[in-house]
Amino acid sequence: MSKPILEVNNLRVSFKMYAGEVQAVRGVSFTLNKGEVLAIVGESGCGKSVTAQTIMRLIPTPPSYIKPGSSILFDGKHEITKLTESQMEHVRGEEMGMIFQDPMTSLNPTMTVGAQISEGIRKHQKVTKAEAMQRAADLLTLVGMSNAQERTRQYPHELSGGMRQRVMIALSLACNPKLLIADEPTTALDVTIQAQIIDLLREIQKKTDTSIILITHDLGVVAEMAHRVIVMYAGKVVERGTLNDIFYNPKHPYTWGLLRSVPRLDSDRNNDLESIPGTPPDLFAPPVGCAFAARCPYAMKICKEVDPEHFDVSAEHSSACWLMHPEAPKVEMPVQAGRGSHG
Amino acid sequence: MLKYVLRRFVYMLITLWVIITATFFLMKLLPGNPFGEVAAKLPPENLKILREQYGLDKPEWQQYLKYIGHVAQGDLGVSYQFPTRSVVDVIKQSFPASLELGIESLIFAVIVGLLLGIFAALKHNKAGDYSAMFIALIGISVPSFVVAPLLSYLLGNKWHILPAGLWQGPEHRILPALALSFGTIAILARMMRASMLEVSSLDYIKTAKSKGLTTWKIVTSHMLRNAILPVITILGPIAVNVITGTLVVESVFSVPGLGYQFVTSITTLDYTMITGLTIFYAAILIIVMFLTDIAYGFVDPRIRMSGRR
Repeated sequence: MSKPILEVNNLRVSFKMYAGEVQAVRGVSFTLNKGEVLAIVGESGCGKSVTAQTIMRLIPTPPSYIKPGSSILFDGKHEITKLTESQMEHVRGEEMGMIFQDPMTSLNPTMTVGAQISEGIRKHQKVTKAEAMQRAADLLTLVGMSNAQERTRQYPHELSGGMRQRVMIALSLACNPKLLIADEPTTALDVTIQAQIIDLLREIQKKTDTSIILITHDLGVVAEMAHRVIVMYAGKVVERGTLNDIFYNPKHPYTWGLLRSVPRLDSDRNNDLESIPGTPPDLFAPPVGCAFAARCPYAMKICKEVDPEHFDVSAEHSSACWLMHPEAPKVEMPVQAGRGSHG
Repeated sequence: MLKYVLRRFVYMLITLWVIITATFFLMKLLPGNPFGEVAAKLPPENLKILREQYGLDKPEWQQYLKYIGHVAQGDLGVSYQFPTRSVVDVIKQSFPASLELGIESLIFAVIVGLLLGIFAALKHNKAGDYSAMFIALIGISVPSFVVAPLLSYLLGNKWHILPAGLWQGPEHRILPALALSFGTIAILARMMRASMLEVSSLDYIKTAKSKGLTTWKIVTSHMLRNAILPVITILGPIAVNVITGTLVVESVFSVPGLGYQFVTSITTLDYTMITGLTIFYAAILIIVMFLTDIAYGFVDPRIRMSGRR
């Protein structure tokens, strides 16, 4: 395996609110290798986006705090949690780029597309305004927009949602970042446009060999793009593995639940779509034991008392579940192999 | 853009016409008559001659048509109280002082108000924010009839830093302009702060930050332009308010402005003066709003475009 571009170790992020402390991320660790696509999946509010935005330190402090003991090592040399704000300005945009969820709101309505793209280029590279604009046009061509020169003079409201997301991608690629973080890049788009955007991301990833962190709750998107997957629940990683591990040999009951709740083409239409009963726990006061125990059909006594560590399945695959313990009862995996990998 | 401007212009003319008509007929409903107490002492024949002279003997619709015709030519009639002065003359004489005072205080208010608002927003929930908003709160709650005499008395009479009144050199401008701008500063500061805070939580600010821009760059090139839009909308009416001069400030500092003339004309039921001045005020308001709409179109490309279709 090549060298890691990003090593996140025991990342804990909290929000200090009037009512108390919300522990949004509670000890997340993972590594991302060069040229790799890592998907972070989980339902809303599980800490995916907070994790991603903390890597770029985009969440304002206060209210968010990175807790002591957390480490985000970027490119083997930058300890993100310790950089000053002005050092961060050189990391953001230049070394890392971010694609946001909603292209309708993440572009400035009063600035032309070209100005918004070239702005970042001019911040990080010594180029003239005209050169930056030319580069902006080249980037728009790269993301598959025709008449790029003309497009640079247009405003976001003159473009469709899919086009704007292409602009957003061009913008994040402006300075050839080593790491691209895509925070639910397709959630706000039509299904047909979703497929185009995923194709585009995959193509760009191949062309530029950029490492990508893909945040999503859409397992279809994961199957399309990711090399490795981490599954998050209530601010923690509950299972990690390669794409095949997660889709064909999932070990955590939460992963089973996620896979079962993907609609299938061949299912009987009289069958209801499966869902995971209950809601995620309140992160003001996270439960003592396994956070998923309250919703888990296989929960044992120990699950409610002690939070499980990760049990290794293989070098790449591990799951934080007591069912993995040698003394635990054998549970038949209720997911058919390959369920959910529709694509 | 041209079509947008043209359409706004036509709206402007229609609004103006509605206002002239409404003022004309509403004024006819006022009790009393324009010749005041003199009318009771005059013999009926003389009164009849007077009424004929002013065209008051004709049916109202004829008076109205005649008046509209005159207004269209820029003639607002002759004062009933001072038959030697036309309404246009009065405006020409007293408006420059009001206008100058208004513009000076408006410029001052916009600069100070916006800066105060931006400062407060950037220091959100910190000491700077609280002190800026405290100043704004005072500006809103203390009326000009308190601020104006206080400034005149303290800085003028007591400490002799600036003249307490009158309208001569540039030093005479400072205190009235200050007094007049006080409330406006407060309104603008609060609007700008709210607007800045709203913009700062929007997604595209996060996008700007993710590009690695400095806070200064994010504020100047992403936040200000978007945050100033709602402020521009209220700037029109505010400007008119300030320019047409508040009566209190003008009278405290003995400024020979238009506000004073307006109030006198109402107490003496000077028909032509009331309608004339109302139309004048309304015209300023509407023209300024028209200019505001155009300015808005320049700042916000979305509005510019919708006019193009």
